[in-house]
Amino acid sequence: MRLKSIAIPAAETREKLRKRSGLSSAAGIVVMCILASVGTSLARATGAQDDAAANRPAMHAFTDETGRRVNVPAQVNRIVSLAPNLTEIVFALKQENHLAGDTDYCDYPPEAARKPHVGGPVNPNLEEIVKLRPDLILATSINRRETVAALDRLGLPVYITDPHSVDEMIASIERLGGVLGADKNAAALAGELRSRLADLGRRLAGAQPARAFFVVWTDPLISIGRGTFLEDALRHAGARSVVETSTEWPRVNLEEMLRLQPEFLVFVGEHTGQAREEIDALRSRPGWRDLDALRQGKVAIINEAIIRPVPRIVDAIEQLARSLHPQLFAARAGSGGISGPIAQEACSCIR
Amino acid sequence: MSPSDTSTHATGDRGASPNGARTERLNVEQASYAYSPEAQAAPTFTLAATSFQAHERELVAILGPNASGKSTLLRLISGTIAPLSGRVELDGEETSRLDVRTRAQRIAVVHQESPVVYPALAGDFVLQGRYPYGRALRFATKEDIEIAHNALAQVGADHLSGRTIGELSGGEKQRVILARALAQQPRLILLDEPTLHLDIGAQVELLERLRQLAQENRYAVVVVTHELALAAEFADQVVLLQHGRCLRVGTPAAVYQADLLEQVFEAPLDVEVGPAGRPRVNLRARRGEDAM
Amino acid sequence: MHPLTARHVLWVCAGLAAVLLACVVLALKLGAVPISVTDLLINLGRVAIGRSDQLPSEYRLIVFDLRLPRIMLGILVGAALSVSGASFQALLRNPLADPFVLGVSSGAALGAILALIFAPQLPFVTLLGAFVGAMATIAAVYFLGRRGGELDSTTLLLGGVISASFLSAIIMFLMTTLAGRDLRGAVFWMMGDLSTPVPVDLQWIFMAGLLAGIGAIYSTSADLNLLLTGEREAIHLGVEATRVKLVVYVAASLLTALAVSASGQIGYVGLLVPHAVRRIFGSDYRILIPASAFCGAIAILLADTLARTVVAPTELPVGAMTAMAGAPVFIYLLRRGMR
Repeated sequence: MRLKSIAIPAAETREKLRKRSGLSSAAGIVVMCILASVGTSLARATGAQDDAAANRPAMHAFTDETGRRVNVPAQVNRIVSLAPNLTEIVFALKQENHLAGDTDYCDYPPEAARKPHVGGPVNPNLEEIVKLRPDLILATSINRRETVAALDRLGLPVYITDPHSVDEMIASIERLGGVLGADKNAAALAGELRSRLADLGRRLAGAQPARAFFVVWTDPLISIGRGTFLEDALRHAGARSVVETSTEWPRVNLEEMLRLQPEFLVFVGEHTGQAREEIDALRSRPGWRDLDALRQGKVAIINEAIIRPVPRIVDAIEQLARSLHPQLFAARAGSGGISGPIAQEACSCIR
Repeated sequence: MSPSDTSTHATGDRGASPNGARTERLNVEQASYAYSPEAQAAPTFTLAATSFQAHERELVAILGPNASGKSTLLRLISGTIAPLSGRVELDGEETSRLDVRTRAQRIAVVHQESPVVYPALAGDFVLQGRYPYGRALRFATKEDIEIAHNALAQVGADHLSGRTIGELSGGEKQRVILARALAQQPRLILLDEPTLHLDIGAQVELLERLRQLAQENRYAVVVVTHELALAAEFADQVVLLQHGRCLRVGTPAAVYQADLLEQVFEAPLDVEVGPAGRPRVNLRARRGEDAM
Repeated sequence: MHPLTARHVLWVCAGLAAVLLACVVLALKLGAVPISVTDLLINLGRVAIGRSDQLPSEYRLIVFDLRLPRIMLGILVGAALSVSGASFQALLRNPLADPFVLGVSSGAALGAILALIFAPQLPFVTLLGAFVGAMATIAAVYFLGRRGGELDSTTLLLGGVISASFLSAIIMFLMTTLAGRDLRGAVFWMMGDLSTPVPVDLQWIFMAGLLAGIGAIYSTSADLNLLLTGEREAIHLGVEATRVKLVVYVAASLLTALAVSASGQIGYVGLLVPHAVRRIFGSDYRILIPASAFCGAIAILLADTLARTVVAPTELPVGAMTAMAGAPVFIYLLRRGMR
């Protein structure tokens, strides 16, 4: 290598010049070296003195749902939530006064949108999180592991939830209640959700599960796979997803959907009628118009809550069940069999 | 650049030797080569054993039509390929065995159509000739700059050093490229079709300059060309190639025979002897033959 | 005749280092949390005299634990990408070459995704997977790019382009068939992101690799000058072309692999910075390499500071920032008759 030839003794006449060229070859590197070493020594010096120095109140150790040990203050006062579903659960547990910040996408309940935001769930601004001086950060599977690693490095406690089914979500709420010091609220909420699901289960017990196709997206056509949270939600509502795949968000060929001829199409939509317009448009499109379910109007539009693992999902499940199996609900309509604030307005069925 | 100092020539210390005592520089002895597309395949082109010698102050022309093996012979001489048999020696050392740096200190090669994209300034370009003498990052020494100056002066281009290469004419560019070769302080200068893109005036000027430089600096100069007229006028020795075989080696007068040249170049030619004893080649149109 | 001197190179480096330092201070100051320059200097002073224990904890966290490592990473990545871009432009004798031209970033992305699929529990999984993927691609393209035992610019370029599209196709395949939350990190990382600093344990290796790569390339800068003129010419002038090309290929690839594994694909920097530097300081590689290193660092530092601040609290990926700023600059250079 040429670097070596710098070191080889040269003719005396070139000695001086050689030094200079050697010097200059090192020049750029030296400055960077200095900057670099200052940087890392700083990072080390400051990283070394741990948070132990600050005298903290009593801590409780928890194991979160990914198996990490997390030390959480006995009284959690400043929570930062990194996902809309976690924000919603914090509100459902009536801990919103302790919620110091949440993400740009935290829009439910509406008060959540007024909390200080730390950016999106996938790319939160770490500085904003630090600025909020959180004593607990809540994360879930939509957050990146790099974010969690960075927060760990800063010595901030991160508790991660990871529910894969509706039942796990309810258990997760109970555990989170324990972490946040809201055990009573959590137990009450979980109890209510479980009993409503049990009621629904009894009501649907004899019914044949409806063969449903869950439309996540129409262009391209995307549905849900086996073993997903949504598939579980469909099962609770007395339906079975016709798409057989282990992919979480499978892209489905239109031909395949025609071959499957699902009994029901399930759309996720807002209660603005936008989904309805979209469905009307689909009725005239080639392929779609040959779908029996669409021709017969067997289409359910379901509240967006179903795509978030939050307590509201039980409302959405109940409403979906009502759309899919109206005969089982007809007798007792209006008798209070269906509860929840959004059920009536947000979920509808076109028949 | 100060144009005044033109007296010292590029080769510096080697100086001039008494006239007449010509030492042999280049010795090509039964050198042959073969190209094959794959290691085991039959060769697609061969250069049969070729021999000639070039002395200092001598200008040798390697002459032949396209695909006659001129470029292969040039590569053998420059040492970038080693002969399959035979030897190519410069001052007694095989050129292909010299390390790249030493070779560049002894042999300068000027290619046809040198792609001059960098550097922008002619002076910096000539300084590239000092590369084989520098170390590491090769910042130019005072000595390098002086040698580059002299090299430019020797080709009458010292006024060009501050100009960008892009704005030079074909002849000026060729002079700057030659100056870079001189800055290498070589013992042998190889030129591959140097006159290809020059008009006739610049062609004559270049070859006259080469002869003069060979005299002054004791170079051996080897020029690959297909220009019959120029080789006849300026070469001390001609090596005539055809289809990868060396047909003749000798003075232009000895090599230039009308029937031989007509056969090699596949064109009707007349050869007459000029006043200085050098042959002159005239192209004869085929019209007359058609009429017969 | 005024050829380039070592003194000139040193002065340019010193000047650019000063600009870089000013940018570092600016980047330390700017961010979601406002910090005054005076406070910053006082606290930097505290650190300089070894009294880092006196730092207010918020300063420690935000300035020294968040901003500084990110700035360091930006400097290193910017320097690496620019130097590697300048090197590939010489090696491939193609002014449009950039650090990713030989498919290194696709290889890194595939490596990261495969690592996330098969060994998600590994520490620094994206980084390690990306690095292994990048190095594997480099080796593969090297063998594709050889012709008669030598690296051939055209074959190498074609080999790189083919590898890149082949690897991208595999990535697309994996993304559509295995799409799930585990790949989210990889997707985000592919956009180019500096928010995840290199883990402390790997920092020194990372830095040593970068400095070795830049040093090795700089040591060949006189040879690169001649290689640019043409390989045959360079050999006749005494350049050991085979060795130089190998050194530059390995070093530039290593730089790209390190940069890409730490920060994903940050486009345009490696392409544009060398061209801008050529316009300002000339095309001599002896000044082009160090000046590109500094200017690349400055460019990424500024781009990342913008990415952190323009739509705060949300952060833009720095890759989007460099592409947004880079494309117009590139067109400008092109229109002004880039050579």
